[in-house]
Amino acid sequence: MTAGQAAAITALQEALAAEQAACYGYGVVGAYLPAGSAEQATAVTDWVAHMRARDQLTALISGRGGQPVAAAVAYQLPFPVTSGGTAQLLAATMEDAVARAYLTLVALPETGLRSLGAQQVRAAALRAESWRGTTEAFPGLPASSLRS
Amino acid sequence: MTDETPAREAGPGGAAGASRRALLVAAGAALPALLTGCKGVQALGTPPPPPRDIRILRVAITAERLMLARYTTAITQLTAAPASVLAAVRAVQAEHAAHLSQLRSRLIESAVSPAPSASRPPVVAQGGSVASVLAALAQAEQAASDRLLGELPGLPPALAQLFASVAASEATHVPFLTQAEAAAG
Repeated sequence: MTAGQAAAITALQEALAAEQAACYGYGVVGAYLPAGSAEQATAVTDWVAHMRARDQLTALISGRGGQPVAAAVAYQLPFPVTSGGTAQLLAATMEDAVARAYLTLVALPETGLRSLGAQQVRAAALRAESWRGTTEAFPGLPASSLRS
Repeated sequence: MTDETPAREAGPGGAAGASRRALLVAAGAALPALLTGCKGVQALGTPPPPPRDIRILRVAITAERLMLARYTTAITQLTAAPASVLAAVRAVQAEHAAHLSQLRSRLIESAVSPAPSASRPPVVAQGGSVASVLAALAQAEQAASDRLLGELPGLPPALAQLFASVAASEATHVPFLTQAEAAAG
């Protein structure tokens, strides 16, 4: 395996780990949103999107001869979720993490993976906007990579 | 190409990106070499055509300038709009200013920069309703986002990441503007 192939698998694994955490987290989010509400319907839609992305990444990693990272049984949430409000904040926070992970794919030279990463950064930013109601200038980009 | 770029110490990326390095700030370490490179080019009189990355970056910078101008025009058309709508439009405008600043930071422009004076004012619906002004902005945002994503192949990694992030931000402005209008009634 070349260094380029190894870098691609590492980036895919990072995105997969973020998607697995999101799949877990949306289960929590859904549980705290009112049954039958528009928010809960959105959470289900987003959850399905993350499961699909997880499966796609798993297939991409296997297809390249990698061993997809296994999902954890449970994840430490970044803050306690106790209400619909904190559930929505968790969803937005997870989308931020997903966007960061996919931006690693964008750094790869391979056009297909770069494009996949960019599409998913955009999708995650759109979901974050829907949960938070506000936008960001640089979704997924760490502050350290911005120039003053 | 390679013979016009004498060996410089240490820059990352090896021989491949020498001319690119002369204009793109690929890394802090490249800066000293870059400055001497610019002087040399100017002393020779006729600069070589800019590499593809530089052209793409300049187009993106011009596009951001036009987007900012769109918002400036829109704000003058939205004086009668609810305060919440104006606040939302100004918030988005501020994000575009940040985009422009970051895009420009990736480019060392020579003293004579052709772009700004040549840019014509953007076409915005004349005296339209709040809804039509916001719809035009949303349409421009979506187009800008798609255009940036189309430019990704072949760009240096850090620049590709900036483009992807800016494209994502612009895409989020579409629902944000729609929601601002819906909330205002």
